Amino acid sequence: MHNYFRSIFFVLTTLVAMAAAPAMAASDSMADIKYVMQISDMDPSKQELILNNASNVLEAFPPGAVEVEIVAYGPGLRLLFAQNVNAKRINSLSQSGVKFSACGVTLKGMTKQLGYEPKINPDAKVVRGGVVRIGELVKQGYVYIRP
Amino acid sequence: MQNKKQNKTLFKRTMLGAACALALAGSAGSAMAANWLMLQGTEPEGASSRAEVWGFIQADYQADYSGANPYGFAPAIQVPNPVSVPGNYAAPKMLGPNLNSQAGFNVSRARIGVRGTGFPIDDHINYFLLLEMGNNGTTRNSNSANNNAFTSVKATDASITLNYIKGARVRAGLFKYPGAEESLQAIQAHDYINFTEVTNGLLLERFPNQAFTTCTLSASGGCAGATGNLGQYTTAQLQAGASLNGFKNPAGAFRDVGIQVFDAFNVGKDWELSYAGMIGNGNGIEFDNSDKSYDKYAYVSAEKKYGGSGARAEGLKYFAWTQRGSRLLEITSGGGLKSYDRNRSGFGVKYLKMPYRITAEYIKADGMIFVGTDKPNFYFTGTSASADGNGITANSATARGRGWYVEGGWYIPNSRVELDARFDTVDRNEDYANEFRFNKWTLGTQYHFNAKTRLTVNYEIRDYKMVHPNTTLSGTNTTTAIGNATANLNGVGNKLGVQLTASF
Repeated sequence: MHNYFRSIFFVLTTLVAMAAAPAMAASDSMADIKYVMQISDMDPSKQELILNNASNVLEAFPPGAVEVEIVAYGPGLRLLFAQNVNAKRINSLSQSGVKFSACGVTLKGMTKQLGYEPKINPDAKVVRGGVVRIGELVKQGYVYIRP
Repeated sequence: MQNKKQNKTLFKRTMLGAACALALAGSAGSAMAANWLMLQGTEPEGASSRAEVWGFIQADYQADYSGANPYGFAPAIQVPNPVSVPGNYAAPKMLGPNLNSQAGFNVSRARIGVRGTGFPIDDHINYFLLLEMGNNGTTRNSNSANNNAFTSVKATDASITLNYIKGARVRAGLFKYPGAEESLQAIQAHDYINFTEVTNGLLLERFPNQAFTTCTLSASGGCAGATGNLGQYTTAQLQAGASLNGFKNPAGAFRDVGIQVFDAFNVGKDWELSYAGMIGNGNGIEFDNSDKSYDKYAYVSAEKKYGGSGARAEGLKYFAWTQRGSRLLEITSGGGLKSYDRNRSGFGVKYLKMPYRITAEYIKADGMIFVGTDKPNFYFTGTSASADGNGITANSATARGRGWYVEGGWYIPNSRVELDARFDTVDRNEDYANEFRFNKWTLGTQYHFNAKTRLTVNYEIRDYKMVHPNTTLSGTNTTTAIGNATANLNGVGNKLGVQLTASF
């Protein structure tokens, strides 16, 4: 009997650990809600809009209760150029926990067009692919936002 | 000679200031606050459009309350018995650019442009194109020979900026030269309908008709039978098509075709230093350099930034500038074209921190002093003596002028209303018998419908006069001539203006 309950406990614990593992691997945060925001537009007004969205979301929740990741690809990758006029604001949001991901595929394409690799904002991380990254995050339960 | 030395010194100091700005530079970066050099010559890095369409329209109504001239104009050349010719009007009493009425509606500016970075992932290159379709001194063409005035579309800006060298951006094409605040500031951001008299008289260049034109005085005091030199006209004559604008070329619009090196730097926590050096044809918005000489421009500014961005960025800005050039003119019949210096310089300060704004600027001019649209050549060539009657032959081509203005604005808190007041003064033909001074108060109010549209109402109180009304010159009866001009200028009255500005 004792062995039976120990086995049940072991199975249940394993099941709980397996269910929790993917979420813990994506993020170590205990955020209640997570947002992934996409910017892929040429329109420069979208840059300010997406940064405003991120700010508003942070303000709407207590610290640590929300997680935001902005993924930039295509023409939207310009937001994460090192000299972008919004660089200071991006740094400030990064200090507040917002993550910035730059599409590696777009970066490669732009490098080919320009003849040199554009400098990316040091607060951003280059990911394999912007669309792929968004897909991963959505699968993990992130709310998808495209301003 | 003394003025040439002073101008040279000011030019050297301005260039030294620019060099210091470079030496002290922190980062040559994206400084954009209320900085017209950067706002007009560059695009926001990483956030520009391929082609952003923009523009503005200014529609207005103005009414000039001046009285008709009691006398004909009689310059230094003798009119022994001045003839009273009531009912004539001179240019200062008429509404520009048409100069044929004292009240009416106008579309003073209607501009459409496109700007951006043609290849948006590369911020190194941006462009700026702007067309003017309104009715003003730039678009109003006047051929005084047949009074065939018409309004045409003009390109006022067509430039490309290369942003490859840190600290030294290069802008080439047709664009505003770096200079006085009123001239450099975007016109749709002006807080008043009309320029100050110092800017209008000394800086907004009217290019003279180069060839000598004679003036044979008529009894009425106008130039009879002359080409390019125009007398006063009655209302009936103006309605019949007579034109008080004898200038064949459009006004310069504070622009030139050339090449400029410029940039802005963030220094310390909240200071921004800017500089610009430019060389251009010295021919306004026209595309030729037939005199084979170039105008040179230099500009420096230092601004303590308080916040905000764009046209209404807040800060305290100190600035200085200088311009040196020359113009060809034939001042005697058969004398041939000769070169006359045209130098301008100034310095000022602008403060903007809501709800207050204060601006002050001092401007000096040496050579090619504009004295009126109805005398596009004559007043450059006419003889005049110094104020003390020494009989020194001189003309406005070698004359001097100076002026200044101070203005302030109050944005009434929690409202859309702004109150403005400005005083400006300009002295032209300094120390000559026909030295004249224009003083003007402008009282204004603006209602901001939104960030892009506003209504401006201005009331101008004008006091125009000859500085030496009792000057007597040996051998001539210039007392009469100056007295006539004094009486005519005394009749310059106040002016009301209402303007609607909509940007898009």
